[in-house]
Amino acid sequence: MAGRILVIGLDCAPPELMFDKFVDEMPNFKKLMSEGVYGELESVIPPITVPAWMCMMTSKTPGQLGYYGFRNRKDHSYDALYFATSTSVKEPLLWEILNRQGWKTIMVGVPQTYPPRQVNGIQVSSFLTPSLENQYTYPPEIKEEIAELVGEYMVDVPNFRTDDKAYLLKQIYEMTEKRFKVIRSFMDKKEWRFFMFVEMGTDRIHHGIWKYFDKTHRAFIEDEELNPAMLEYYKYIDKEIGTLLERVDEDDTVMVVSDHGAKKMDGGICFNEWLIKEGYLTVKEYPSEPTRLTFDMIDWSKTKAWGDGGYYGRLFINVEGREPSGIVKQSEYEDLRNELQEKIAAITDPDGVNINSVAHKPEELYPVVNGVAPDLIVIFGDLYWRSVGIIGSGKIHTFENDTGPDDANHAMNGMFLIRHPGVEGGRKVEGAKLLDITPTLLKLHGIEIPSDMVGKPII
Amino acid sequence: MASEDVYKPGTTLWMTGLSGAGKTTIANLLAEKLIRRGEKVEILDGDVVRTNLSKGLGYSKEDRETNLMRIGFVCRLLSRNGAFAIAAAISPYDYIRKNLRKDDENFIEVYVNAPIEKCIERDVKGLYKKALAGEIKQFTGIDDPYEAPEDAEIEVHTDKETPEESVSFVIRRLEELGKIETIKSDEGYSSEEQAFIQKRLEALGYL
Repeated sequence: MAGRILVIGLDCAPPELMFDKFVDEMPNFKKLMSEGVYGELESVIPPITVPAWMCMMTSKTPGQLGYYGFRNRKDHSYDALYFATSTSVKEPLLWEILNRQGWKTIMVGVPQTYPPRQVNGIQVSSFLTPSLENQYTYPPEIKEEIAELVGEYMVDVPNFRTDDKAYLLKQIYEMTEKRFKVIRSFMDKKEWRFFMFVEMGTDRIHHGIWKYFDKTHRAFIEDEELNPAMLEYYKYIDKEIGTLLERVDEDDTVMVVSDHGAKKMDGGICFNEWLIKEGYLTVKEYPSEPTRLTFDMIDWSKTKAWGDGGYYGRLFINVEGREPSGIVKQSEYEDLRNELQEKIAAITDPDGVNINSVAHKPEELYPVVNGVAPDLIVIFGDLYWRSVGIIGSGKIHTFENDTGPDDANHAMNGMFLIRHPGVEGGRKVEGAKLLDITPTLLKLHGIEIPSDMVGKPII
Repeated sequence: MASEDVYKPGTTLWMTGLSGAGKTTIANLLAEKLIRRGEKVEILDGDVVRTNLSKGLGYSKEDRETNLMRIGFVCRLLSRNGAFAIAAAISPYDYIRKNLRKDDENFIEVYVNAPIEKCIERDVKGLYKKALAGEIKQFTGIDDPYEAPEDAEIEVHTDKETPEESVSFVIRRLEELGKIETIKSDEGYSSEEQAFIQKRLEALGYL
């Protein structure tokens, strides 16, 4: 069928590697660049897999979607948290719009599609699937087809936190190989007009071995085998992409896209430790060793704010009349937020050098703020630093996160490339945003762009 | 829930599928869940209806049509008054289901899909055995056709899902279709799965 769309999603793929450092070793992608329009793609804040992919597929901000990361507050009680799964997505997705136009669609591994919804086509969920025992495909019999094809399919890399990097790489390759095998089989045997998949291996390898790849990383390690491993994996991905390009025609649209970029991680800011030192957070008993802060440890009668860890920080204020034991008066709320913004902006590294942190008020980021947003969304050190939730070390800075080593953080800019018949290729485009992806694809295929979409067509 | 003074139409949830596919099991389990969510629910089970509303009707094409049109009529009355009317009937003929849909603006079709081999294997009521032995004539799937729906809003696969999984899927679809309100906590995880996902996301550095 003419006029199909293939979307190749590479989670976390940074423009610096795709367009520059690795491009000469990636002949298939290099050829696509000469035929397509490409450029950096500004992600959403926060630039995290959830909510970013669903923001891309709905052209809506996190505020409109009503969730701000993987884990969110259900209401203003302290411990009511939920994970944003497919059931949290209330806005129409690109493939749902295409389904309504009669398009058959296949999606494999797109984050936040578990539990799988009914689609006109096939849906294979991503790493929010607890195990292969769960019904992770729609229709269900696809699960058996996958098992026949690749044996044990991998929704993610098991045992990611391992120091055995050779083992980690083996797992990443195995996961990717299996995914591409499934993709090729579906491309060949199933009916589709829209095909999208997201490969997570690119993200996992960044977090897992960036310090072996980036000589400027504070913990760079010389290692004959691991130093070239990142490039080797990208070369391998390029080869796999080549096998897919053989399966599309010149009048099909091909897109390669990532949800955010990647950069080295300099360290972590122990957010709650900082809040304790600054007098905003009080615990009943300060732990004698590094401990993950839990709600029962907090003395709410003396706590104005608490934070959460992750690639970015979330700060919550204990507001009177809103939180169960709130102490910050509504009239003081705005002053407190402003004060915290200033203090966060002044955070330094251990040598006293300002690391350039920003705390955003959600209502200034998004036109609508649904659900329960953090009171401040905090990007530490221009994303060279992450947020760490533990307390008990007595230190603000850490070079280990809560659960072990992590080499990379996310960068604000991901990448996109689009090859479409009749559109002149070999061009770099500036200023594209993640929310522009869906409107762009709709426009190129002559489908009306819903007026409430935030993004605009890139071309 | 919609407030008392806002009119909220109900839903005719028409479950079609082979005998033994699991229509009654799913209808009962689903009814329980919907009632817990504050919905008014009635089940019109094909087998039960034949003992009252359609007493005396047989299994000829004509009698089957009459039976289904009667069930459809009652469902329409219920759903237009805000109730969930769940019909669980084989309803093998496509044109009848299309007619029912045409007459009922609140009609949602659920295809309870299980292969005939599986239904024969289950044979809860011993009917397949009799039909295969020729003791029952015009039995759907054996010597009378079942025309699978092509445009059912919801399709469950009872040979591959547990009844709970099928019902959760129906609930989610009803939420998506705007027939029931979405419950925010319904992430699709059991508490064990939630704990497992939390560990995975912590290990990956997301939390």
